[in-house]
Amino acid sequence: MNLRYYLLRRLLLLIPLLIGLTLLTFTVSRILPGDPVGLAAGPQSTPEIRERLRVQFGLDQPLPVQYISYIAGLFSGDWGQSLYSRRFVADDLRVYFPATLELTLFAILIASGLGIPAGIISAIYRDKLPDQVVRVIALFFVSFPAFWLAMIFQSILGVSLGWFPIGKRYDVLLAPPATITGLFTVDALLRLDFSAFGIALRHLFTPALVLSFGALASVTRITRAAVLEALDKDYVRMERAIGIPYRVILTKYVLRSAFIAIITVLALEFGWLMAGAVLVETIFDYPGLGLYAVESSLRLDFEPIMGITVLYGIVFSLVNIATDIAYGIIDPRIRYG
Amino acid sequence: MAETVHPLAPPRPARFENLRRGLYRFRRNPLSMIGLILLIFILIIAITAPYIVPFPEDAAGRVRATARLTPPNETFYFGTDHVGRDIFSRVLMGTGLALQVGVVIIVLATSIGVTVGAVAGYFGGWVDDLLMRITDIFLTVPALILAIAVTAALGKGITNVMIGISLVWWPGFARLTRSLVLSLREEPFVEAARGIGAGSLRVLFRHILPNALSPIIVKMSTDFGFAVLNAAALGFIGLGAQPPTPEWGAMINDGRAYFPQRWWVATFPGMAIFIVVFSWNLLGDGLRDLLDPRARR
Repeated sequence: MNLRYYLLRRLLLLIPLLIGLTLLTFTVSRILPGDPVGLAAGPQSTPEIRERLRVQFGLDQPLPVQYISYIAGLFSGDWGQSLYSRRFVADDLRVYFPATLELTLFAILIASGLGIPAGIISAIYRDKLPDQVVRVIALFFVSFPAFWLAMIFQSILGVSLGWFPIGKRYDVLLAPPATITGLFTVDALLRLDFSAFGIALRHLFTPALVLSFGALASVTRITRAAVLEALDKDYVRMERAIGIPYRVILTKYVLRSAFIAIITVLALEFGWLMAGAVLVETIFDYPGLGLYAVESSLRLDFEPIMGITVLYGIVFSLVNIATDIAYGIIDPRIRYG
Repeated sequence: MAETVHPLAPPRPARFENLRRGLYRFRRNPLSMIGLILLIFILIIAITAPYIVPFPEDAAGRVRATARLTPPNETFYFGTDHVGRDIFSRVLMGTGLALQVGVVIIVLATSIGVTVGAVAGYFGGWVDDLLMRITDIFLTVPALILAIAVTAALGKGITNVMIGISLVWWPGFARLTRSLVLSLREEPFVEAARGIGAGSLRVLFRHILPNALSPIIVKMSTDFGFAVLNAAALGFIGLGAQPPTPEWGAMINDGRAYFPQRWWVATFPGMAIFIVVFSWNLLGDGLRDLLDPRARR
């Protein structure tokens, strides 16, 4: 099976998944108790106002009709409308998604920058002191409540030392770089605006650092296990026997074969961090999907939540597909099928 | 327990021999021993807290208007919060709640996940396809966001937090159990059991699942800490136990407005969460070395 055919098949499989996802969130939003309309209309609203709102948002229709019209809207770009702010969900997502994507990408970058070398050190010094130290440190960082750590980092790095901004995505008094990709750092670089790049990066640093701790332990652990497994192979023993320098063996042969496992865990963690960004975004008042999700949930405003879920579903699946394709690039023996 | 020994019984089941060897390795792993000791210590605190803390009534909403936001001193070891309650007493009294929440989430998630995974793996075919597609959908949903949405819809409260988190937690167990059952299904001893006429349920629960237990236990122990962590996160957002219940996440939220000048309000409950999660992670790491042969290197 060639790559194009494989890609097409995987993309087509997205459709049943999305139908399942929307069914799930739709069920959660319509079946569970809670009175979204009452909340949106406010405590002083009359039954007439609530009824008008219900008709306006189509909530008076039978559930299957509501579901089908939601799905139809999804494909035509109408992702529904917030009951609370009356804004279109698709417009909100277009603003918030790049913010969370940028945050998650930086967190993954930090987690792999720290975790992969730590895992390699751990594997080389297996069961010796450096190994034990690295393992304890990794478990240590992953055990902190992210929201608590975020609070502490915010007040130390942001308030007491004043090295980094205490929150938001960009200087509130300045206009962010004009949108190309929506990722502020990338947009700034594309426009060769280095001061904007600096501002965006400084805003990203603390939240991304805190977020990366969640992935550090598993990246370290998988790297360690994968490097150990590769070091145990016969070809490595042979290479050492014929006198190839250890450094060369490590970088050229061992790491390359360990990369399959590392890529897998990075892709998994990417998904976890993107969902975990909720808490970090809440603390840093970072205008991303997580903050949007929490605010919408607390208001029982389900249209945004459904939109967020669908978007996450698409992103997770695309990351999985990209990972499977990356396997083939790292290890040409792997066939798509 | 009195047992009649069959004359043809093997001298000692291999499973016990493995257990003995495992215990030996476990004792030699300092990290997991530290984790275990910490957990025993935490359990003792959870049970005895109402009798040993200086101000047990502070967990039930007593207000001390004259002692608001007192820094840690010899009366209030961890200081007091915005209504003058002793944080030391509240942190210790909250231990039991945190552990209960962890137990309920893990037990619920394991029961759902193991059942789904075992049935899917054992029966295969369309049952497998259906159950695994459902599992995939749950795995694709951003877990924390769904948990928040479900809890918000059900209404604030610790019970709904446990329901919300369990609902997103089982798919991992389903995946794991299915893969274990798939490989065990073809083992000779399973074929033998089927050959002498054992029914599907008996084969599954008596012969397959007991042999799949180790990795499931490892996952339960590592997940326990994270379940506590996630419950605290929902408490922090304001969806969990309502005041004056001493729930750690909610207590951190109480202290957020006073941080960092009155650092003690938020710091001590955060440390408590950290210690519980860290202990479970240490224990889980040790158990993984012990029970999961692939990780033992």
